[in-house]
Amino acid sequence: MSISNNIWEVAEAYVAGTLTESELGELASRMQSDAVFAKEFNESTELIGSITASGKNKRFKTMVGEIAQEQANKQKNAGKRKLINFSSLPQVWKTAAVAASVAILTSTITIWSLKPAIKRNDSQYTNISREVANTKKMQAGQQAELKQLREIIKENNKPAPPPSDVRYSGTGFALTNDGYFVTSNHVIHNNNKSDFDSVYIQNHDGQYYKAYLVTYDADADIAIMKVEKKNFRFGKGELPYTIATSKAGLGSQIFTLGFPNEDIVYAEGYIHAKNGIEGNDQQYTLQLMAEHGQSGSPVIDQKGAVIGILTAIGSQAEGNNYGSSYAVSSKALIELMHKIPNEPRLNKTNKLSRLSREEQIAKMENYTFSVKVYKK
Amino acid sequence: MQSPIYTDQKLLSALAAGDRKVTEMIYQQNFTIINGWLIKNGGSSADAADLFQEALMVLFGKAQDSDFTLTCSIGTYLFAISKHLWYKKLQRQSREPIQLDERLGGDEDEQGIASEDDINVHHEREVHFEQLDSALEQIGEPCRSLLKAFYHHDKSMHVIAADFGYTNPENAKTQKYKCLGRLRKLFYSMQAK
Repeated sequence: MSISNNIWEVAEAYVAGTLTESELGELASRMQSDAVFAKEFNESTELIGSITASGKNKRFKTMVGEIAQEQANKQKNAGKRKLINFSSLPQVWKTAAVAASVAILTSTITIWSLKPAIKRNDSQYTNISREVANTKKMQAGQQAELKQLREIIKENNKPAPPPSDVRYSGTGFALTNDGYFVTSNHVIHNNNKSDFDSVYIQNHDGQYYKAYLVTYDADADIAIMKVEKKNFRFGKGELPYTIATSKAGLGSQIFTLGFPNEDIVYAEGYIHAKNGIEGNDQQYTLQLMAEHGQSGSPVIDQKGAVIGILTAIGSQAEGNNYGSSYAVSSKALIELMHKIPNEPRLNKTNKLSRLSREEQIAKMENYTFSVKVYKK
Repeated sequence: MQSPIYTDQKLLSALAAGDRKVTEMIYQQNFTIINGWLIKNGGSSADAADLFQEALMVLFGKAQDSDFTLTCSIGTYLFAISKHLWYKKLQRQSREPIQLDERLGGDEDEQGIASEDDINVHHEREVHFEQLDSALEQIGEPCRSLLKAFYHHDKSMHVIAADFGYTNPENAKTQKYKCLGRLRKLFYSMQAK
């Protein structure tokens, strides 16, 4: 970026702290020589700062208002319950205590009054125990209610579920922690028609996030998408895996994670041929059992590098191709990424290489998810 | 999933980021105490809710500065601010300025909470935002809605492009910059007056 660009673009980059040293230098010298520019620039950054903070402030205020309302409602209900449960209890104890003291008192004076006193005590005792039982029952009921309430809260905090029925579903995996991900192009563009209404991902917690198409390559069968939500993160840290830049060798052991149904499924195999159907060198042929819905799944080598994206399965009609699948090479993915303006930076540190397979899978779960496409 | 253990500083940065769960937790943990105190001091639960929400806004505003650290627990801070806000309200109602000084004991100063300063900064912030809002109301459409969508409702340029009928996010962004330009002129001319 040159600072002779649009002043707002520079101001936004300045506020975000993404200007380079040389750009900052250029900016400083321009501000020194051009007082009008300096004033405008200062106002621009201040305005961006203010309006951003103001928006954040508003959203927080609304949220706190909602929380206050919810808490007030809860308080009201809890208060009611408290009254039912506990108000009668001390009263009964008190009566029992009085009865007991009466019993002691009377026993010292006359023997005949002892019996009825004990009897009274007994009946009080049963009263109390029933009361305790009732309280216990209510507490259990209360707990169930609380649990239910928690479920409801959890449910409410989930992002809104998608609007209509799923048309297609596939698998996707993260390219960057801030929301870029990849899936098979045919998952979203069936027969090269872009007639989908919306695309959501559903992560392993069952939460939905809406995504938009960034770019795609129909020939290679790759689509790069991004989660719409601002400040979205797939997981706590950077991606645990890397994307391989060169083609993997024949016979390499590979595994994949995908969503043929609601649950994540693991499968393993090896590279059966270096090229795909009809010698397509953008692809691999894999010996790997895969099912529909696993399109877009990452194909990962033993070191934890993604070498490809699952794209098709061999049909039974092809006879000896049964049990084989095809994957697009990660090289094609990297080439497609070059087409994104402000190309997202890929993770270069692999955290999977020394882990057991179980651990590798556990680490991958946050970054692999179901992709759901909805009708227009 | 394991539930993480939060330190106050972590809670504070989550609050500053507007995390709902954490805010809810802070609310639950502290509201009852303030509510109880206020009822003893002549207020109602509704007053307590108002005060506590404002106290949270004060803390939220302070926490926007990433260098800000609390010298006491979040609970103590919110309690001190709430009390201060309440005394201020009483003072406004009764117009007895002396009462304020008497009632604010040394306990808050000992904990190093500059309630008065923090509340004043908070009010200045609110006034600043109000001025910005009134400029925003005057710039006209589609700028007003576009800037609100982006800055107030946190919508992405992609969504905005679709909602406002721009052919792509880049065009929407160009429009956003134009709108910012108009807002800047209007806002600073209003400031100058």
